[in-house]
Amino acid sequence: MHSDVSSQSGQRTDAHGEDVAVLEQVSYQYPTASDCALKDISLRIRRGEFLGIVGATGAGKSTLCMALNGIVPQFYGGRFWGRIRIDGLDTLEHPIASLAQRVGQVFEDPETQLIATSVENEVAFALENQRVPRDEIRLRIAEVLDLVRLSHVRSKSPNALSGGQKQRLAIAAALATRPRLLVLDEPTSQLDPVGAFEIFATVRELNRKLGMTVVLVSHAAEELAECADRIALLSDGRLLTIGATSDVLGDVEMLLAQHVRPPQVTSTFHLLRQAGAPLSRLPTRMSEVSALVPSLQLEPSASPSLPQPPLRSGARPLITAENLHYSYPDGTAALKGVSLSIREGEYVVIVGQNGAGKSTLVRLFMKLLSPKSGRIHVQDQDLATLEGSDLARRIGYVAQNPDHQIFCSSVEEEVSFALRHIGYSTAEIEHRTAESLRSMGLLSVRRVHPLSLPKGDRARVVIAAVLAMQPEAVIFDEPTTGQDYRGARYILDLTQALHRAGKTVVVITHHLYLMPDYAERVVVMGSGSILLDAPIRQAFHSVDVLRRTFLSPPQAVLLARELDASKKLGLQLLTPAEIARHFAVRRKETAS
Amino acid sequence: MSDFRPSGPERSVQLHGGAAIDGAPIAYIVVLAAVVAALSFIPFSVVLSSGGSFPMSQGVFGLVGWILGPWAGAVAAGIGTLLGVFFAPHTAGVWPLSIYGAITASFVAGCFSTEHGRAWWPIVWVWSVLSLGVYLGRAYALAAIPLSTVIWGSTVDWLSVLLLATPLRSQIVRWLRSPDLSKVALGLFIGTSLAYGISHCCVCAISYYLFNWPEAVWLLLIPIIPIEFLFRSLIGTVVGVGVLSGLRAIGLVKPRYAIY
Repeated sequence: MHSDVSSQSGQRTDAHGEDVAVLEQVSYQYPTASDCALKDISLRIRRGEFLGIVGATGAGKSTLCMALNGIVPQFYGGRFWGRIRIDGLDTLEHPIASLAQRVGQVFEDPETQLIATSVENEVAFALENQRVPRDEIRLRIAEVLDLVRLSHVRSKSPNALSGGQKQRLAIAAALATRPRLLVLDEPTSQLDPVGAFEIFATVRELNRKLGMTVVLVSHAAEELAECADRIALLSDGRLLTIGATSDVLGDVEMLLAQHVRPPQVTSTFHLLRQAGAPLSRLPTRMSEVSALVPSLQLEPSASPSLPQPPLRSGARPLITAENLHYSYPDGTAALKGVSLSIREGEYVVIVGQNGAGKSTLVRLFMKLLSPKSGRIHVQDQDLATLEGSDLARRIGYVAQNPDHQIFCSSVEEEVSFALRHIGYSTAEIEHRTAESLRSMGLLSVRRVHPLSLPKGDRARVVIAAVLAMQPEAVIFDEPTTGQDYRGARYILDLTQALHRAGKTVVVITHHLYLMPDYAERVVVMGSGSILLDAPIRQAFHSVDVLRRTFLSPPQAVLLARELDASKKLGLQLLTPAEIARHFAVRRKETAS
Repeated sequence: MSDFRPSGPERSVQLHGGAAIDGAPIAYIVVLAAVVAALSFIPFSVVLSSGGSFPMSQGVFGLVGWILGPWAGAVAAGIGTLLGVFFAPHTAGVWPLSIYGAITASFVAGCFSTEHGRAWWPIVWVWSVLSLGVYLGRAYALAAIPLSTVIWGSTVDWLSVLLLATPLRSQIVRWLRSPDLSKVALGLFIGTSLAYGISHCCVCAISYYLFNWPEAVWLLLIPIIPIEFLFRSLIGTVVGVGVLSGLRAIGLVKPRYAIY
């Protein structure tokens, strides 16, 4: 489907009528970069369309978003070639303030754009700067807060909102200016699946009902398949292809070659097609499956053998929590009687909605917080009696944002920092540091400033620093947030290598679809309690329990359940590969 | 650059206003003002002339000027110090003079570079010569402090005024821009002292008028002042090397008149 970009982008010529944005041969180079971040991009964004943008990290997606309202190059400087017109305005000839009235922008991290002391002030801020009359501002605040379902928290501080609410507030603030074009850069990367779904639903509603043009960058292939009219695929700064959503997301081989994850339903039928299923087009949405399956006559294999995680009931408990209670100073009860035992050598994933208590639980494990009541034991020792340095030797903690744990001016200093402060000999420090750098593939950048590395590599620096302590267990808090598919797999492969080396691994994540290849056991948390503690197959197929904590199972699990619905064999399949392996195509002569 | 050659016409990139002061984004100014305010909490020694402790923030005034440029640096240092007056009165000393000193030190540091066709340093130099003249002239002519005591007691002041007019100023800029962090450290160490030295003589022109300290205090200050300057420079160097290497590493957009 590698379409001719120039012909596609040249379908319309009226920049003021049909197209909201027109990009002509746009190239851009950041001031300190040696290569262009955008390369000869020609593109027309049609009025009222929902355009999804996909691509690997570094493909130029965020730069393209910022170019649409002049932040690139007006704020960043650098060199710029070509022309971008937004509603007829050249982005190099008009100030960002003027362009911002036409282009609303929502960044990946909403905290970077929330500045006011209350929700309604946040919405009012841009309007006040545009000298919108007071009564009109009041009307618009009510209107947009209603749209994003935040009316009930209008007087709250933005800091007191959940991640999903902050994201919706950022959208509301952008909407209040009534932009012609709404640009959202990874707006759901920090949200639980239901929070992400709500954002997509809100944006789709704005697009469908108000006719607002939407450009949305996301790695969430399943949601894009449901919402977007067209998809643009960027690669190394170039617009590789643009076309109808089903065409672009249905080209699995092209997406995988660009390290972009296709929807799981598409991956599954791609594998089935490789196994002989007569499919001319691949479905990209679950709703297409029910029409497709009868014609294919898929049958489950007679005796499916599924890999099961090893039973570790005999292993020693490494971390034991008994009846933990914790409330934050504002009175929010984060944990309500949590009891949990993590055994040596396990790979445990903790899942749950935003605010379920996952991070609070691991902060208690790391002694970063103290429980209101209840006890924690590390092996046989009461956590309360453990010194911080002893705890650091036993349990390593990799925070969600690696930058929060980086403060030295070279990778080597960073990795050796803790060792230097808990009394190891110089020879031991050098040995452990070198070993840790080698295991993380960081020897070649040992002298480099850690913040000059890409985010995935910065995460590796933090992991190397943790590994240098040679802990028995490592806890990863949302390690795949903000990573593209390749980056996320890379980090999880590291966790797998640690697990295979005998370490106990605990991962907190919202990205359930990534975990089947790694985790053995799943702890599902909701509203400060443990709702389910089970092997991964059982947990991911406990759809009702997951939904109670605003999680939805991976699309492959839902697909497996739908395919199994008539036979009711109880197959607990988790991935597209497993589904393709366990369902045979009976009818191979008819193309769909 | 790779083999890629853009096919579109290259455009001249212009900045059309925006939330900035003299080319420095407001957000940067806010952050550095907050840093100055936070460092105001930490007292480092007793300053006899104004009867208080000098705060750690005095060590980073120069750094603020090099990061933001003269005007934005002066705004950030001034606001930060003003906040410090309220939140950390134990280090505020005579607060109008503290703010004046902060503004002057950051502005002087930001003036080290003469790029972009801007050369504020001669104006700063003339102002500092006048201030030095008022300060030392009053001590020698009106308070009858012996000349040798005045000269030894104001070494950092007249030395800074002299050095500002030499090529050392440009050399410090080159050191601050060097990829070699040891040269950056040298630039920070000498530059912090030089910028604060100018600020010191501007402030002393007023504080000496207010307090008119006697010869005994002049004698006491002769060893104390260089030690205080040494500590300011060490603070500026330690904090500055980390901050500048970090800023370079993350590739954050530089303010238009930044020197690093």
